[in-house]
Amino acid sequence: MISVTPKKLLENDPKIDLRSLTPEQVALDIKNLNLYYGDKQALQNITMSIPKGQVTAFIGPSGCGKSTLLRCINRMNDLVDICKIEGEINLHGENIYDRHVDVASLRRKVGMVFQRPNPFPKTIYENVVYGLRIIGENNRRVLDEAVETALRSAALWNEVKDRLHESALGLSGGQQQRLVIARAIAVKPEVLLLDEPTSALDPISTLTIEELINDLKKQFTVVIVTHNMQQAARVSDQTAFMYMGDLIEYSDTNTLFTTPNKKRTEDYITGRYG
Amino acid sequence: MNSINVGRHISGQFNEDLERVINHVMQMGGLVEQQLSDALNSVSDNDEELAKKVLASDHQVNHLEVSIDDECTRIIAKRQPAAGDLRLIMAIVKTIADLERIGDEAEKIARVTLESYSSKQQDLLHSLDNLGRRVLEFLQETLDAFTRMDVEAAIEIHSTDDKINREYEALIRQLMTYMMEDPRAIPQIMSVLWSARALERIGDRCQNICEYIIYFVKGKVVRHITAEEMKKL
Repeated sequence: MISVTPKKLLENDPKIDLRSLTPEQVALDIKNLNLYYGDKQALQNITMSIPKGQVTAFIGPSGCGKSTLLRCINRMNDLVDICKIEGEINLHGENIYDRHVDVASLRRKVGMVFQRPNPFPKTIYENVVYGLRIIGENNRRVLDEAVETALRSAALWNEVKDRLHESALGLSGGQQQRLVIARAIAVKPEVLLLDEPTSALDPISTLTIEELINDLKKQFTVVIVTHNMQQAARVSDQTAFMYMGDLIEYSDTNTLFTTPNKKRTEDYITGRYG
Repeated sequence: MNSINVGRHISGQFNEDLERVINHVMQMGGLVEQQLSDALNSVSDNDEELAKKVLASDHQVNHLEVSIDDECTRIIAKRQPAAGDLRLIMAIVKTIADLERIGDEAEKIARVTLESYSSKQQDLLHSLDNLGRRVLEFLQETLDAFTRMDVEAAIEIHSTDDKINREYEALIRQLMTYMMEDPRAIPQIMSVLWSARALERIGDRCQNICEYIIYFVKGKVVRHITAEEMKKL
């Protein structure tokens, strides 16, 4: 007879200690990151390690710097002229802000999905293989297989498998967002950045995406920015609370939502005036 | 020290919901305290009317328990409380379950009054009263600490239960001696014994409430820890 002690039942969720991660456990290592938009400092000395194969959420009020921080991870802020960045973000021990880093290949390793679904005005199939075609993959069999794998991973395959060559714009908002996720994971990134991926979706589509995020972490490291605190509580393993460009508290999600350390965190997650 | 901080939510409605539920817990605590006090007085004064009043008031306590439970469920469903708010709701749900059981125990004690005791057995009732007064005091201190969510007081009075347990054991030994001396009085002595047991259980439940106060304020689960570990808090 198999005996399951109550202790074992409770230990199915192994905790990792964020303060003492081994190099193998770290996906992204952010060190002393400062970011300025012109004279205004938007991120202040952010230091944190984002563990591999887990979901990390950034929460905080509007303008706290959470999206800015997320965008730093695949150098989207390079497109902003007045933006100046100091510090390091290390992916596999290599600073992504080093001069010799090729931004296009970085973005293949670090995919991103935005708030509003942004499929290309092409077929579903062409949307998914877009990234692969750019890197020169034209073998039909390889592309077909990639489409099926990516759409299955994005929990969309069953809904679209019979209309792969129809326009992606005919899909619902929730389906479009999953298609965009499929497009991002088709190039097999290591890290997937999600910037408020469900804020334009209805509650059912939102739950589908949340379920998907939980599956995706088996293959990718996921970093998500969300305005919805309950969503952060539901989907993430770690949560970082930011306020006015500072990282106020970063801990495992269970602790942050039941016994936060800092008063400012408590005020924010309980909906109090700060 | 006042650690209950239900205000300052951006949602004024949420503040009101929490304040209302806390007021109901206080009301329930007051009612249970009155029940225990009346039960002890009914025994010491042999006041059958008062004993019947205790029995009759039980449904009020039960009714409050159900409605507070209901309020907490609604708050969880509508507000998804987090951090301190969540711990407060959890502490309340557990506290009212203990308060309701304290009410049941008070009822058991009041039933002793409805039995007849010979003058020789009055000593027994006197010993029961002594234990009862100490337990009543513990309950009052516990409710007081809960009202103010005073964690220092909760830690301090937490150990009162050990003293109560020792007094309870001494009373049991005394009752056993009486039984051996006068076997015909065993039915009455058993009644006193059940009451003493009820008082001992009330002490345990007060101790539980102290633990919920500590959980709410400090976010630490202190059930099943040693006295030494408790002192280190």
